[in-house]
Amino acid sequence: MTALLQVEDLHVWFDLQDGGELHAVQGVSVGVERGERLGLVGESGCGKTTTVLALMGLLPPSASASGRVLLEGTDVLAGGEASMRPHRWSDVAIVFQGAMNALNPVRTIGSQIVEAIELHGEAGGKAARAQTGELLESVGIPAARASRFPHELSGGMRQRAAIAMALSCHPKVLIADEPTTALDVMVQAQILELLDSLCRDFGLALILVTHDLPVVAQLCDHGAVMYAGEIVERGLVDTLYHAPRHPYTRLLFAATPDLGHETEEIVSIPGAPPRLDQPLVGCPFRPRCDSAFEPCATSRPLLRRVADRHAAACHLNDRPSQAPG
Amino acid sequence: MRGADYVVKRTAFALVTIFVAVSINFVLFRLAPGSAVSNLSRVPHATQELRQALKRQFGLDKSRGRQYLIYLEQLTRGNLGVSFENEQPVSTNLKTAILNTLPMVALGTLFAIVVGTLTGVIAAWRRGTPIEGATVTTALGFYSMPTHWLGLMLVILFTGILPTGGMTNDFLINPSFWTHARDVLSHMVLPSLTLGLVLFGEYTLIVRSAMLETLGEDYILTARAKGLRPWAIIRKHALRNAMLPIVTLVALSLGYIVAGAILIETVFSWPGVGRAVYDAVLNRDYPMLQGAFLFLTISVVFFNLVADLLYYKLDPRIT
Ligand SMILES: Nc1ncnc2c1ncn2[C@@H]1O[C@H](COP(=O)(O)OP(=O)(O)OP(=O)(O)O)[C@@H](O)[C@H]1O
Ligand SMILES: [Mg+2]
Repeated sequence: MTALLQVEDLHVWFDLQDGGELHAVQGVSVGVERGERLGLVGESGCGKTTTVLALMGLLPPSASASGRVLLEGTDVLAGGEASMRPHRWSDVAIVFQGAMNALNPVRTIGSQIVEAIELHGEAGGKAARAQTGELLESVGIPAARASRFPHELSGGMRQRAAIAMALSCHPKVLIADEPTTALDVMVQAQILELLDSLCRDFGLALILVTHDLPVVAQLCDHGAVMYAGEIVERGLVDTLYHAPRHPYTRLLFAATPDLGHETEEIVSIPGAPPRLDQPLVGCPFRPRCDSAFEPCATSRPLLRRVADRHAAACHLNDRPSQAPG
Repeated sequence: MRGADYVVKRTAFALVTIFVAVSINFVLFRLAPGSAVSNLSRVPHATQELRQALKRQFGLDKSRGRQYLIYLEQLTRGNLGVSFENEQPVSTNLKTAILNTLPMVALGTLFAIVVGTLTGVIAAWRRGTPIEGATVTTALGFYSMPTHWLGLMLVILFTGILPTGGMTNDFLINPSFWTHARDVLSHMVLPSLTLGLVLFGEYTLIVRSAMLETLGEDYILTARAKGLRPWAIIRKHALRNAMLPIVTLVALSLGYIVAGAILIETVFSWPGVGRAVYDAVLNRDYPMLQGAFLFLTISVVFFNLVADLLYYKLDPRIT
């Protein structure tokens, strides 16, 4: 069976004002199966948003991309805008960050959902409006609120409306890019719970972009850790937590405050990610790594299978005696 | 109700503004050194009696406060005084001038709004391409051209093809309605075009920058993610938001243009308000000037009000 959504060797470059180029995504391969939930984690600026925008063909004109995005086996990236457009929303839908102005402020939320339904021929007129009401109810918004404008709803409600809009054309894959950032903790929990139950009810595949590891642990079964534009480790969330094979993954989990153990000191990873507008030599994580050795300075480690459904990009895994972690 | 409340509030505010402006207008003219009497009685051997008689005739023997009240009272009756120049009521002169100005300005502005919006949107959508470069350069060129110079260039260019001065051909005797309309329209082309070209430059730049800002908004990305086509995105999501700053700027500029297309009306001898102001200044026709100022005030305030109301209609966030 072909994978539902498979990204292969994705590269993205941004043209910079000064004439340079920024290699934001450097060979990302990742995929989801039906009903699977993938957490894409990594520090700010590592290329998470760029990756998901690229796989929907939504990059700004200043960006160029290469690689393949296979949707049920067909490459939707190759044909450009025209081949991508029909798949948007009806196959892959996206929920943007809560603080963002993802809803048009001068149009009612209902009309924006109806627009998507009608555009993809799901239903028209009255039926579309009825569907919109049902969708809103299913995310916990009274159907009568369809005639409200975005500014009349709270942040949490707006995010619920955005989720309802994302579900309007029965997508197979839902991408959520930091869906709970900028919401307060209670609302965050509610939104996550909502995503969880919706994915279960609709049999959705989910790609959850976040830098919040506990959220991934709570919601996802698979995880992919990004660093400096590439995926450095990929596997089941449990495996990543208990048996990481890349020092960055290990340190990332260690740096996550654990509410259960208040006394435990919070460690952060010293240093900063490398600049992406210059070519990288060796392992991009080497300057911050606590277990770097000779080959790390000169050769860049590739993402390799280290166990069943588990891959990592670290030279340590090439030394049979010493696995990191 | 949100709507009625807002309209009443804005309208009241506009009326108060006009009242204040009218009052300041009154004071300003009294502050000018000398008076109508001192000017008129500057004849040799003017007697004290003559001065007194003149003072009484002009109502200047009354107190300032009393004069102000009389002025206001006459204003409410539409009496703006009598022009020094042709001894007609100012209101009559002004009405003729306004009726001449409005169609000319309306035609030019309409041209500028339609063409300017179109080119502005295209320039923003085709950002970074030669199309944008060409559009912006053209717009900037027209925007920075001195109005009267552009008018003169058009006169040179179109002499013999289109009438270059006045509003009618005086040699048409008893023209039928249609002949007259066609005559006025052909006289209107050049002044309207001059105004339209200058405004077109300005509006293109405004629309382009408003569009660029809007196109960078997150909901545009959402609209693309939903699978909308470029034109649908512009029409259904971008334009309405971009209209907000555009409406304000266009309405504000209209307020001044209606009363002040002075340069254009002078170049093309168009008998409108601008021309009337120009002549009144040359002839020291104070009542006429005062009337024109009043009209300018009202038109600026009126278009401000229009902008407020439109803004309100377009933006649901305003309460
Ligand atoms: N339009 C752009 N032009 C130039 N560089 C960009 C652009 N968008 C993103 N970048 C750069 O690409 C890199 C990846 O950015 P991206 O937004 O994908 O990171 P992210 O992982 O989503 O971070 P965050 O957690 O902050 O959202 C960053 O270095 C960023 O500066
Ligand atoms: Mg991001």
